[in-house]
Amino acid sequence: MIEHAAHFLPAQKPIDMFVHHNTLHAFEDYPFCQGVVEGAKLYGAHPYLPEELYRKQLKRGRILREDLAKVLLDDLGEDADTLVALLGTRYNLRLAMLPHPVQFGSDAELRWLLAETDTLRRFREDTPLEIRTAMIRETRHLVMRDFRNSDRIPKNQMERRIKETLDLVFERFDSSRIEYWEDDTWEAYCLQLLWEVCRAGIQSIQRDSRDSFVQVIRHRDWMLEVTGEDTDLLVHELLITFCAAYVDQGIANWVLPRRDEGFFTAFREMYRQSWGPPNHWLHGLKEILDDISENQISPLDSIERSLDALGVARADREAYLQKSLLALRGWAGMIWQTERETDRVVHPSKPGSLIEFLAVRLILDRLALKEVAKTRLGFNGPLSELMRTRASRQSHPSGPSVDQQAFVVFQIAQILGWKPMGLFSISKSQWGQVQSEIETFSSMERRRIYQLAFERRYRMETLDAIVIRNRKQLPAPPAAKFQVVFCIDEREESFRRHLEECCPEAETFGAAGFFSVAMYYRGAADARYIPLCPVVITPKHYVREVVRDSHEHAHNLRERWRRWIGTASFSFHRGSRSFALGALLASILGPLASFPLVLRVLFPRFTAQMRKIVGQYVEPPPATKLLIERTTAEPGESAGQIGFSIPEMADIVDRLLTDVGLVGRMTRLVIIAGHGSSSLNNPHESAYNCGACGGARGGPNARALAHLANDPRVRDLLKERGLFIPDDTVFVGAYHNTCDDSMLYFDLDQIPASHKSDFEFARAAMDGARARNAHERCRRFESAPLNLSLDAALRHVESRSEDLAQVRPEYCHASNAVCFVGRRSRTRGLFMDRRSFLVSYDPTSDRNEGAILARILQAAIPVCAGINLEYYFSNIDSNNWGCGTKLPHNIASLIGVMDGAASDLRTGLSSQMVEIHEPVRLLFIIETKPEVMLRIMEANAEIRRLCGNEWVQLALLDPDSPTIHHFRNGQFEAYHPASRELPEVEHSIDWYRGWRDHLGYAIVIPSDDATHSTGMTRTNKR
Amino acid sequence: MDFQPVLTLLCILVILAPATLFALLGLAALFAHQLSENTVSRATRVAVIVGLLASISILISMLSTGKHHVQLDLGHWVILSDEHFHFNFKILFDRLSVPFAILIFSLCGTIGGFANSYLHRDPGYRRFFFLFSMFLMGMIATCLAGTIETLFAGWEMVGLSSTLLVAYFQERPSPVRNGARVWTIYRVADAAFLIAAVALHHHNGQGDFDGLAGVGDWPEGLATLPSDQALFIGLMLLIAAAGKSALVPFSGWLPRAMEGPTPSSAIFYGALSVHLGAFLLLRASPILEESAFVSAAVLVVGVVTAIFAALTGRVQTDIKSALAYASLTQVGIIVAEIGLGYRLLPLAHIMGHACLRTLQLLRAPTLIHDYHEMENAIGSHLSNDRSFWRRALSARSRAWFYRFGQQRAYLDAFLNEFIVRPFLSIFRMFDTWERRWTDFLSGGESRVSDRVMPTVEPIEKTL
Repeated sequence: MIEHAAHFLPAQKPIDMFVHHNTLHAFEDYPFCQGVVEGAKLYGAHPYLPEELYRKQLKRGRILREDLAKVLLDDLGEDADTLVALLGTRYNLRLAMLPHPVQFGSDAELRWLLAETDTLRRFREDTPLEIRTAMIRETRHLVMRDFRNSDRIPKNQMERRIKETLDLVFERFDSSRIEYWEDDTWEAYCLQLLWEVCRAGIQSIQRDSRDSFVQVIRHRDWMLEVTGEDTDLLVHELLITFCAAYVDQGIANWVLPRRDEGFFTAFREMYRQSWGPPNHWLHGLKEILDDISENQISPLDSIERSLDALGVARADREAYLQKSLLALRGWAGMIWQTERETDRVVHPSKPGSLIEFLAVRLILDRLALKEVAKTRLGFNGPLSELMRTRASRQSHPSGPSVDQQAFVVFQIAQILGWKPMGLFSISKSQWGQVQSEIETFSSMERRRIYQLAFERRYRMETLDAIVIRNRKQLPAPPAAKFQVVFCIDEREESFRRHLEECCPEAETFGAAGFFSVAMYYRGAADARYIPLCPVVITPKHYVREVVRDSHEHAHNLRERWRRWIGTASFSFHRGSRSFALGALLASILGPLASFPLVLRVLFPRFTAQMRKIVGQYVEPPPATKLLIERTTAEPGESAGQIGFSIPEMADIVDRLLTDVGLVGRMTRLVIIAGHGSSSLNNPHESAYNCGACGGARGGPNARALAHLANDPRVRDLLKERGLFIPDDTVFVGAYHNTCDDSMLYFDLDQIPASHKSDFEFARAAMDGARARNAHERCRRFESAPLNLSLDAALRHVESRSEDLAQVRPEYCHASNAVCFVGRRSRTRGLFMDRRSFLVSYDPTSDRNEGAILARILQAAIPVCAGINLEYYFSNIDSNNWGCGTKLPHNIASLIGVMDGAASDLRTGLSSQMVEIHEPVRLLFIIETKPEVMLRIMEANAEIRRLCGNEWVQLALLDPDSPTIHHFRNGQFEAYHPASRELPEVEHSIDWYRGWRDHLGYAIVIPSDDATHSTGMTRTNKR
Repeated sequence: MDFQPVLTLLCILVILAPATLFALLGLAALFAHQLSENTVSRATRVAVIVGLLASISILISMLSTGKHHVQLDLGHWVILSDEHFHFNFKILFDRLSVPFAILIFSLCGTIGGFANSYLHRDPGYRRFFFLFSMFLMGMIATCLAGTIETLFAGWEMVGLSSTLLVAYFQERPSPVRNGARVWTIYRVADAAFLIAAVALHHHNGQGDFDGLAGVGDWPEGLATLPSDQALFIGLMLLIAAAGKSALVPFSGWLPRAMEGPTPSSAIFYGALSVHLGAFLLLRASPILEESAFVSAAVLVVGVVTAIFAALTGRVQTDIKSALAYASLTQVGIIVAEIGLGYRLLPLAHIMGHACLRTLQLLRAPTLIHDYHEMENAIGSHLSNDRSFWRRALSARSRAWFYRFGQQRAYLDAFLNEFIVRPFLSIFRMFDTWERRWTDFLSGGESRVSDRVMPTVEPIEKTL
């Protein structure tokens, strides 16, 4: 039962191994729209953006009116034409409700609004002028003709009612001068009449008592409702410090006593000691704990007892426990993670810790409730009776009052021009219809429609662009001189585009950034092995980096130096916090600290360069090699077991090359480029790294793969399997730092002399692309001027990564929206604004019914969807699903961040990371046939769940023609592009220059003279 | 050549620069004018650099001329010659205030530069810099104050801006709650301060420090108070200092002040705010010297604080709290030094400590990065628990001390249980009586406000 509840806890790993995942992973079995609403209910968060933000997007043109109309029509289906009373179709009513904000407030607010503002004197500002004039004119006419100046006795009840209402309103005006009323007076009169009509109409209908849905609530919620006192404040203050101490990975000098014996025991023994806390509410704690200790009560029994004491009915227990767990979900989730993912933390928790945590929490809950009940309610009885003593106000949820409902109708009437006289003629049942119609199209529904429209807009743009790009005959690029395999990361999209732009002889590919090399890796200067592969894989192989024998001596010397410096800085770090040593350090070395302080803060880039120069003397010598070949049978951590066997190596290379379709056309030089990111003062640093390497840097994987692919024995084996690597092809590993756009190449001394010039050519091209890429990224940073030159842009991003005060070292995955799986030739030359993951896949070589595609998608869909959905949720509700703003973050237990000194552990992404993101579901565009895709979905449950339940959008590009099929309601439908033209530019910079916001698609067609450039020319365009 | 006019000009500049900045940002906010981030940061930079250069020049001229005491009168506001009472604003440059002013300007400048990028694009950017300028102004006024009234004015500005910076994230409940808590403690300290000021006036008819110091410049001054007066005033000032510097028993607010953005945390317990109590004691040192008892009390408070903070700091599991208590340890030691009668040593200690801690706090969020680097350099996990205490204490007492530290010595709990609780129940009792009385008068329920529930915006706005 508890494990089931734990399913809903945030699944974030310790923060130094941040891996993106769907925040609502537990709800993937529901269709998206239902899942987010269920999730929102459970966590008390928003499922979609607030309406006003969508309206803002509507104003900015990120959503068009036609999108709303189309989505609404699709959504309503056949109901679109249903008439609502006599006032128009349901479709029209809903369409009118979308763009206009309808005010809503409590009764008190409403009273104030009506009495103190112009609400009853002037029409809403967004009322169309003609509606306003027509409404006033008609009202005036009718009033003057039929009711003011005729003597006829009202014939029927309706007329009597009209007359009464009119007279009522007349009392507020000087009716003797009615002939001389100004327009303004008539406007006010008309509005007041409208208001009275609406109110009378709503009043006339018998409101059906809304079924108050019974929910299990925690005693704390009840108590908060009744007394305004939050018992969680008391409980959490104690619990947070204890949880932090329990999972601490090394901040505190003292380790929690008896931590190894588990949460429950540690807590029990600590608080059983005498001279405990003087807090009133904790007075009973020692007694309870003594009892537990004497009677050997297990945590599960203790939970049982607590629930009995609280009087929770058997049927409600699961829900109750779930809510209790979620009340401090960050910490509870982290305890759950440290007890299960034991290989990713230094100090794992004892199995069963979460249950023990819950047991402790319930005991504390009981104590806090008892205390508050006593002081605030004077209640001394058993807690199980507590909730019966006084009815909570919440237990009778009353729907909106008559005035509240009428006010909504009143506003919509103004927008749609429902005239007061017309409304008089509506029957009671029709009023009911109007009312229920408005009620069913609630804010939540409107936001859903907005969200769908938002997604539709970008989807249309994207699909149109792909179609247009593929219809167009671009000049074929010259024969490739070198090839580069990048990660599929959407941050590499711009890098690849720029590389191809400044050197058309470059061909690029995209593969998951661990390049099929799943390993535990330990660098020459590393303290321990870290896993370098997607989190779903547990690697079996170990790889070490060691210094070449010839540098052994220098290495040992430097290692000693490093150890000495490390120990010294650690002692300083500790010592400066201690008593005597601290005093000494502070008064003697303290003033010296002002130099690094001022330098680092005010001149980050300069300081970094200085550090680098000094660092040269202690870093491991650059001449290192990988211990990667295994001689014994079984892989493992000890000396002979490190590495891969030759057949395993061949498998890895085979897998990568066939995945990306790099078969049969290899150039003389193939570069494998992993990526990572480095930044300072950024607890989330690891989230910026390669997701396919489990939140670590992917350089070693690229290096390892190059090593494997260069091995002649591996090549021989591959040749036997039919995969031919030419003898003159050389693989080189590289590492791209996406934050400062630096590029590091490995094992350059291994490149044969014959290939030196090839490599220099490629390096020059890559350098050109680096600067251009930095330049394109800078357009997003408000602190970088728009007129930066290429070199200045490179300097700018370099200083960003070294700046202590920089909270946005880079924007990471923000704005990701598309994932293209297919040949690069189908997207080459398309400006995709760094918003698209690019996975290389060649459908023409995938003969075996999409077997290659299936294995690519098995990794690509969950990983990319995880990234996209984490950004979606953190952007939609930064405080509940994200970790809020980064500014007050405080690293706790080396495992996560808190706001300030004692808050719940904050999971998700910070608002600075996601601020430029557009929350749309990821659109997969896969180059394959519908029947292949359907087969893959059939065979693979996870893909089926994510695509079928629409947590991602799916479209297929036909491998042979520029036609697209869009996956909707469980089937593929042909897509008809809405536009025929795309802007064409010569360079990317011509398209993005001077613009900070999102950009649409464009086709980049290099002119002839640009094709000649070797990549060396840096056109410094301003 | 006469340096006097130049020196006077420099003195005016030191106080004018932050005052102008404060006025500029404050007036802009008052008239709802949105200054751009660029303007704000440039104005701050200019003000700080001008102030810094001016104070450094003063230091140089003092060193070269050997004149250690410069006063600047900003006018007498109240003079009651019959009662021998006067009330004036006066700023004072001596060997205590000038180094302290330099420290304030350089740290505020650095932190301001840091905050400029750190808060870039934050909706509260202007609010932060306004509070920051108020803080700077307050610090400078406190530090240069020549009379106790001037000092009090600065002291209040520091208190107010600090509290508002703690509650910077006003949309969440806990910063506001903790801000209120800090404010309460500050008010207690302020009350003590005010009483001390009044007592000083009562006795001397003036609040001037140099009058107080009698003969000689700081730190050689000697007070001219009778020792019973000195005892009372000294103790009041000690309470004021303890509240501001989070000394025992007021230490509970220290971790709570962490709710603001990182740079404001750095200002508080890293650099300036937390040393202000020690500064006050230094400034009032002639009084301390009058009364051995007060000196002893200062020493005891300092030592107890240092021990408490050292113990508590060892068990903190988040980096900012750990640094906060490390800070407090040093402040305790500094206060103890003052109690022992040292004057220049604590001043040097403050300077060094402030710089060191500010650097550590500003780079607190990079801890994980640093730990990985150190781990890799050493080649193994960073191990703890190898301290002297492990050997010195039995497992049992270690567990007890652990809890003692983790619960922050129950200081907050004691304040809550023995001061706040009785206080609240008394006022709740009054409230009940009042309600009965008004109910009786109005012949029914007399308080409409009871029925109004605070409205919480629902996630789904139901229609």
